[in-house]
Amino acid sequence: MMHYRTALAALATTAMITIGSGAALAEEVTITVWSGGSGPNDNYRIDAIKIAADFLEREAAVRGEELSITVEGKPYTQWDEFKQAVTLAAEAGTAPNIVVAGHEDIAAWAQSGLIVPIEDYVDVDSWPINDIYENLFDISSFNGMLYGLPQDAEARPFFFWKDHMRGIGYSDADIDALPGKVQSGEYTLQDVLVDAKKIQDAGLVKPGYGFYPRVSNGPDYWQFYLSFGGQMEDGSGKLVFDKAAMTKFYQFFVDAVAAGVTRKNHIGTPWDQWYGEVASGKAGMWHGGTWHYKRYTTTEGLDDFFGNIQFSLIPAGDADGAANTITHPLVYLLTKQDDDDAIAIAADLVKIASEPRINALHAIKSAHLGITKSEASVDLYSGDRWAREATERLLPHASAMPNNVNFGQYWEIMWGGLEGSWTGQKSVADAIADVETELRTTLGDKIVIR
Amino acid sequence: MSGNYRQWPMILFLGIVTVPLILMYVYLFVDTVTNSPPGSMIPNEFTTEHWRFLWETIPGRPSIWVATWNTFVFATSTTLIVLMISSAAGYSLSRLNMPARSFFLGSIMVLHAFPTVTLLIAIFLILQMVGLYNTLIGVILVKASLELPFGIWIMKGFYDTVPWEIEMAGIQDGATRFQVWTKLVLPQVKPAIMALGIFSFLAGWSEFILPLVLAPDNKVQVLSVYLAALIADDNNFDMALFKSVGVFYVLPVIVLFVFFQNKLMNIYSGGTKG
Amino acid sequence: MGNSSVDVADAGGLKTRGPPSSGPKLSKLAAIGNSKYLGLYLLAPAFLFVFVFFLTPVVLTGIFGFTNMSTATGITGGSYLVSRSSMLALKDRHGLDEIADDLSKVVYTIDEDGLAAAAQGKADAATLVEFRDKFLGQSFDNRRDIERAIKSLDSRPSSTRVIKAIAANFERSVLNIRFDTEEDLFAAVSDFGVSLDAEQKIALSDVAYTGWVFTTDNFKRMVSLPETTKTLINTMFYVFTTLILFNTGFALVLAISTHYMESRPAGFFRSVWLLPRITPPVLYVLMWKWLAWDTGFLSVILEPFGVEPRNWMLDSPANAWTFIILINGMVGASMGMLIFSSAIKAIPQSLFYASEVDGATRIQQIRHIILPQLRFPILFITSYQTLSLMTSFEYILLATEGGPGGATEVWALTTYMKALSNYAGALEYGYGAALALVLVVIGVTLSIFYLKLFDFKTLTAPPKIE
Repeated sequence: MMHYRTALAALATTAMITIGSGAALAEEVTITVWSGGSGPNDNYRIDAIKIAADFLEREAAVRGEELSITVEGKPYTQWDEFKQAVTLAAEAGTAPNIVVAGHEDIAAWAQSGLIVPIEDYVDVDSWPINDIYENLFDISSFNGMLYGLPQDAEARPFFFWKDHMRGIGYSDADIDALPGKVQSGEYTLQDVLVDAKKIQDAGLVKPGYGFYPRVSNGPDYWQFYLSFGGQMEDGSGKLVFDKAAMTKFYQFFVDAVAAGVTRKNHIGTPWDQWYGEVASGKAGMWHGGTWHYKRYTTTEGLDDFFGNIQFSLIPAGDADGAANTITHPLVYLLTKQDDDDAIAIAADLVKIASEPRINALHAIKSAHLGITKSEASVDLYSGDRWAREATERLLPHASAMPNNVNFGQYWEIMWGGLEGSWTGQKSVADAIADVETELRTTLGDKIVIR
Repeated sequence: MSGNYRQWPMILFLGIVTVPLILMYVYLFVDTVTNSPPGSMIPNEFTTEHWRFLWETIPGRPSIWVATWNTFVFATSTTLIVLMISSAAGYSLSRLNMPARSFFLGSIMVLHAFPTVTLLIAIFLILQMVGLYNTLIGVILVKASLELPFGIWIMKGFYDTVPWEIEMAGIQDGATRFQVWTKLVLPQVKPAIMALGIFSFLAGWSEFILPLVLAPDNKVQVLSVYLAALIADDNNFDMALFKSVGVFYVLPVIVLFVFFQNKLMNIYSGGTKG
Repeated sequence: MGNSSVDVADAGGLKTRGPPSSGPKLSKLAAIGNSKYLGLYLLAPAFLFVFVFFLTPVVLTGIFGFTNMSTATGITGGSYLVSRSSMLALKDRHGLDEIADDLSKVVYTIDEDGLAAAAQGKADAATLVEFRDKFLGQSFDNRRDIERAIKSLDSRPSSTRVIKAIAANFERSVLNIRFDTEEDLFAAVSDFGVSLDAEQKIALSDVAYTGWVFTTDNFKRMVSLPETTKTLINTMFYVFTTLILFNTGFALVLAISTHYMESRPAGFFRSVWLLPRITPPVLYVLMWKWLAWDTGFLSVILEPFGVEPRNWMLDSPANAWTFIILINGMVGASMGMLIFSSAIKAIPQSLFYASEVDGATRIQQIRHIILPQLRFPILFITSYQTLSLMTSFEYILLATEGGPGGATEVWALTTYMKALSNYAGALEYGYGAALALVLVVIGVTLSIFYLKLFDFKTLTAPPKIE
């Protein structure tokens, strides 16, 4: 009667026989970990697993079992190549045990069976899982199950160069009050345009540098859609295309170009040039991510971050929207393997690696934010001004892109429309119409068009 | 080239048209050994620090020498396979009946019309079936196969120019067809072999997308992938280092071309040119 | 004589130039039957390689064009999964709202069957006894609750895995369980108490399957998108302009002008013009960006002349196209240059000397001596490079990424983006393959057109063999 159930029950029985019986296990396991988009500052993505392995071995010893874990890590610096490698390796049967990927990959990989939910192997009521921020917990879930554990959190703030704000008449008190005004909706994106123009007109920055957004596609741009009241997904699992919000979002950037505060072909500027310019005060206002702190202060040589830069949520667009920020956490995911025991060990390793002290190592070294509430009280973390302030000011208001199989397509189409209107190739109305056509054709009933 | 015409108009014309190219490359080379202050075009100091990858291993990457070796193995193996198979197949096709020729040339065109990129998933499936995914050998076999149609066409064209008398003479002297081929005909098509060899080596050396997708492992990384990874690294962007690695990558091929230029020019000459 | 020629001809399928003197050795010749087979042996490796690694992928990709293969479906295999999204699809596409709601429920029931199954795992008997005492007959509507119930026992198991394993035995619902076959799915659904008629079973199977299926949706999608026409026009414009201006046109110019130079300057120019082809694309495009960007060479040089610094590459579609054509053209010209140069070199010098003696100018030499000899190479380069250009996208990807705003997006670029590059990792191989198929069809049509145009048949009937 129960014979048709795959996975759990059959394996469950075996598990109970081998583990429940309490026999001593002499196990030697190799766990492979691959992480994407990782530079030298992100070594703790893999090293945390190594630390966890040491702990697990000791715990096993205390229980009287023998366990020897070898962790092999492989960081990839790019994303495209990494995701291709993971997908193909999975097809070839050589997928790594643990993968550090963006949360947006959960949907597609879960559907195709590439990953298994961590909830099948760990108790969500246990520590540190029960301490993870709720929104991060939700972001790491799909179909009501916890698939992975967040590996790092970040948020994407709006930045102001203090000297230029002073140059157009803001006092120091005003600048300090800015984040509050942004949060309450008093300071909106329209004010951004006005101030950017003033900064440019005062000659403090060159034309086109008043408002200096991101130079390539990224989750950041969804923030502006949210600022105008847009919604990415409704509660039932369908994507949402809010035409009014999207129109205002595109229009904002077109207005920025029209006002001359942003260049028409800003997109495509080389990243190193962009970083160099924003970190040295060549731009008035811009937006980025919490990891920029590290980049400005080390690579770009900015000595006094807090003295020069003010940061806040992304301002609301108008009364329909609200100030917001998007967090795009990476998650530890477990791939489907033939050896169930290996998955279980990997799950435990990931759980231990998410403990506050260990995660704080990654958070501070790579300038990301913490994932558990108690992490904020770990000395290493609380002692870091940026971690403290950013967590406080940004994380509570952070939303995320939905875990939805079709979101990737929606994203590409949104970007196409934005780029078209920004560069002046299409009028905003045309762009929106084209986006609507494309969404209908491509996604059909998987998206709700308002 | 005749001595009767003045050549300076030609040189002047080509010179002007080539200026942008020369400018870009000169600046590239200059950039690899100098530093400039930010935002300026004029270098202000000489340095060899951009070439440090030659003796240091950049963190998170394999040593450049590993990548170079892989690239060399990749390019050479592809070339050898292409040469051997093309010279064999070209000879065979050259001596067959007429109808196959047009069909064959036509099919080369058809295969070439397929963007390699979209074949990747299907190629991956096949490699996986034979167990060669993520190995250098797998990529070598794939690359060689993709180069074969072009190679066979070139070789065949050359074989066509080899007169029959040579073969008939050889057969009359008692050689087998095989011996006729290896001892008499092949030497006649040496220019083609050289030219094809250089083309194939060039193609193999600069191949990027196949190793990227089909052999992502660090141990089998090739220079093109290494270079692309350097520039994609947002956190450690070093333009000058990137340019130096780029120049290092390009240099062997330039040297190769400069030395073998004349051989390449002989693609059409055939072996029996007096 | 005729006999021996025929023998030789038969033996190897050859056409001979003329009858050699027949001699005693020819009987040995005729006996070398393996000359025919030699041809096959020589051809076999080539055939094998091309078939396995080129033809088969081509055919496979053609097939994939008719599927909806993507990251979410996976490349091989698929299971049957009742999930929130598949139930949504059941409602939207088939209108089976009630069934969808029923199947979406999660039910864990503590009954005798479950306890018996749990006991088989030889789990701690004490645990199960306590569990039965406290919870027999109860139902839970989610997994976490039943696991908490087990954890609340005094004799709770020490390992999380055992807890989960015990809980699994009581699951009666089908939500979020992967079934390998349709039958398993239907059996579980009926066990759960939801009855389906044949039509409903088909509907459920359709929405629950996670693998890829055959479909012509890709082509429907292609046809109904406004971008498709624009991309097609872009592609044709790009291919033919670059071809005529550079790949064929300028290549001829280069070949001819270097022909009229001494070997040192000729060699220099040829080497310089080969550089774009051998430079890695990433680096090559970077150099062009150095030239054309806002902070680049052109802007800096022209500033003293009052020209505002601007992004010469991305400022407008016209700018973008100019640079795209330049970038690709310079790479493409080198191949033509090599082939044409060597073809020119093959022309006997005597012809040139003779014409000079007759007082011909260079133009006349070009028209009457060089160009006729180049007819076949020009055809070859034109057809080959048309296809090369149609399938090339790397330089465009690196330089403008199809910008500004899709103005320079060509078909091959779209194919790449859809199939292999998506920020959220949602790769659509099926659609990409369909796009590639269209490209092939266009390519083949163009090739046939070229063959007719250049009267290919007569060109490939060189008299050399006869």
